[in-house]
Amino acid sequence: MLKKTMIAAALIGAAFATAAPAEAEDAEVMYKFYCAQCHGLTGKGDGPNVTKDFPVSPRNFTSAAEMNKLTDADMKNVVMDGGPAASKSPMMPPWSKTLTDAEVDALVGHLRKLCQCKGKQG
Amino acid sequence: MKAALRLGMALAFLALPTFSAQADPAAGEKIFNDGKCTDCHYTKGPAREKTIADQLAKKGPELWYAGSKFQKEWLAGWLQDPKPIRPLKFNSMTEKNPADHPKLAKADAGAVTDFLMSLTSDAVKPVKIKAKRNPKGRLIFTKKMPCSGCHQYPGRKGKISGGLMGPTLVGAGKRLNSDWIYAYLQQPKVFKPVKMMPVFVGLLSDKDMKNVTSYVANFKK
Repeated sequence: MLKKTMIAAALIGAAFATAAPAEAEDAEVMYKFYCAQCHGLTGKGDGPNVTKDFPVSPRNFTSAAEMNKLTDADMKNVVMDGGPAASKSPMMPPWSKTLTDAEVDALVGHLRKLCQCKGKQG
Repeated sequence: MKAALRLGMALAFLALPTFSAQADPAAGEKIFNDGKCTDCHYTKGPAREKTIADQLAKKGPELWYAGSKFQKEWLAGWLQDPKPIRPLKFNSMTEKNPADHPKLAKADAGAVTDFLMSLTSDAVKPVKIKAKRNPKGRLIFTKKMPCSGCHQYPGRKGKISGGLMGPTLVGAGKRLNSDWIYAYLQQPKVFKPVKMMPVFVGLLSDKDMKNVTSYVANFKK
């Protein structure tokens, strides 16, 4: 009986594995596609959307001093649920329905490369 | 004999306007293909893009659901006098839109319009959302969600503001079919599986999507 259950569980697991996206996108490619629109290609917060009408200053990811105030979890939270999740501007969109959990983790890793900092340890 | 002639003429007169107004998608398709429009636009669905690289490899927007997306009159006019819809060049973050889309003569524009209007998607249903200065839609568009971060739109007193990465929504009420705006919010991946705009399914309720649609469809200028 136990053996049958284990086989069934393995089969279900395999089915889920096949249903997942074939290839995860590269973190830098994702950053340039989704985030750079506002945060800029090099992460300075100067993307093409930031015109004089833009109501806030998107975070400058190259500022280690600012980025060290945040844990990786803080960043993930804002990427997933948008600015209001951290009492910030709704101009930062919620990406939870666009990106997978793993993709957001990869993006957070890329932001740490941009700031060359490890961040606040949670 | 005279009566027959009169009847014949009357019938011909009646038939004439019908004939001249008849759509000829096949003629438009030939112009579209011969004009190499296919170098930048694909016209057979479903959507092909699977990765960011697929999306970035495209030179122009996909048109396989153009007949569900655009308003016919706007399309016929735009093909004769194309003005940039996205302030920046397609897929670019750094280059301004060069405004170099080919122009078509009136007859060709009409035929190509007939062809493009024949390309529809079953995912776009007639919902009949009324375009109006919908206060709830406006609140979501301008305050609760980041729509204005990427899209230009006419705000108070017609002042145009908004970001440059997305297509402008100035004049969206003349350009876009409101049923498509709603379908796109509701099932974005049917039309654009990989796109720079976030997915709002599960974040905005169905009512909210209808309110946003109503607000955007009211941008007539």
